[in-house]
Amino acid sequence: MTVVQIPPPPLPVRDKSATRALSPMLTRLAEERATGVLVREHGTLYLAEGRVVHAESPFAPGLDVLLTAHGTLAATAWQRAADRTAGPLHAAELLLASGLLPAGALELCHLDALYDAGYFALAPSSAPGRFRYDSGPRLGPLPSVPVVALERETLRRRLLLHRLWPDPAADSAPLIRADPAAGPAAAPVAPRQRAVLDRVDGVRTATQIARNLGRQAFHTLVDVRRLVAAGHVAPRPAAPVPPPPPPVTDPDIALLKRLRDALEAL
Amino acid sequence: MPGIDECLLEAMRLPGARGAALVDWTSGLALGTVGEAPGGDHETTAAEAAELARMAAEHGAFAAQADDGQPPVEDLIVSNHDSYHLLRFVDTSFDSSVFLHLWLGREEGNLALARIRLGEMAARLVLG
Repeated sequence: MTVVQIPPPPLPVRDKSATRALSPMLTRLAEERATGVLVREHGTLYLAEGRVVHAESPFAPGLDVLLTAHGTLAATAWQRAADRTAGPLHAAELLLASGLLPAGALELCHLDALYDAGYFALAPSSAPGRFRYDSGPRLGPLPSVPVVALERETLRRRLLLHRLWPDPAADSAPLIRADPAAGPAAAPVAPRQRAVLDRVDGVRTATQIARNLGRQAFHTLVDVRRLVAAGHVAPRPAAPVPPPPPPVTDPDIALLKRLRDALEAL
Repeated sequence: MPGIDECLLEAMRLPGARGAALVDWTSGLALGTVGEAPGGDHETTAAEAAELARMAAEHGAFAAQADDGQPPVEDLIVSNHDSYHLLRFVDTSFDSSVFLHLWLGREEGNLALARIRLGEMAARLVLG
């Protein structure tokens, strides 16, 4: 028997001729090598001399989650470092200096977390971002990323998701198992996708599954879009809006009058 | 304890090494690059190598029998008439999907030596 499968689309390569910037403000901050904190709707970027040194987003698990979820670092060890420092980046630097973790592992995890949170921080937003000049962020021992590089990687990631499955609904909605009859019969599920599929329960969203697995959120979006494309998973349809109460067109005037009379007679 | 750049520079000291990169195979992002890349473009090379690595990692035919949490595949070797490409999966204790990619000239390169050394470097990168 021959199994014919449609090959997945290739990973996109950045179009270097494209000058499309995600935000003019970001381009300006990079040009002036700004130092400070850029707060956007879905996340925050910490810039030092025009380079991103740290990023946070409520949608992406932080370095702490990535490091402690699989026992790379004991949660108490992270907590001790976090208690002694001003923020997660400084806690990571303290861990690096203390030698508790290998430099390569920490650098790798730091970059993973930075690109992951950066992807969500640069997501289209309904409100403009605010930049606060602040001498707090500084170039430290952990790797930093030029603003332009983060911007281009974010665009490339959007394109990758779009090519896997063009509907972004599954990125943010609670996920449900798709009706097997509706999808292609028994499309294979890769081991990493299996772990995601096992956590699809009609309540969790893709980014909540990522946190539960201690995985990068963008990686989970990739797995979810592949699972949606293969017919295993679907975004839960929005709950139907309850019908409005029927308009009262015929108040019982006689009853109301009797009620008023009775009240007045008390 | 080496960081990413030190690890890549060490890989470049292997005989015949032309270029090296640390690549995430889910996103296709190069987290670090050093030396040359085929066609002069590390980004394109990273995206294409990531595609190959993902195919190998996700297809059951190539996975080890025992599923003990290690990457399903250890390394990939691609040879052509003038060079070798060696892709070594990095086994991290946290969740990640990265590999080291070493591009070797075929005349000067020693594939067996490079394979052993790259495995050692991948382990040192994350284990110290």
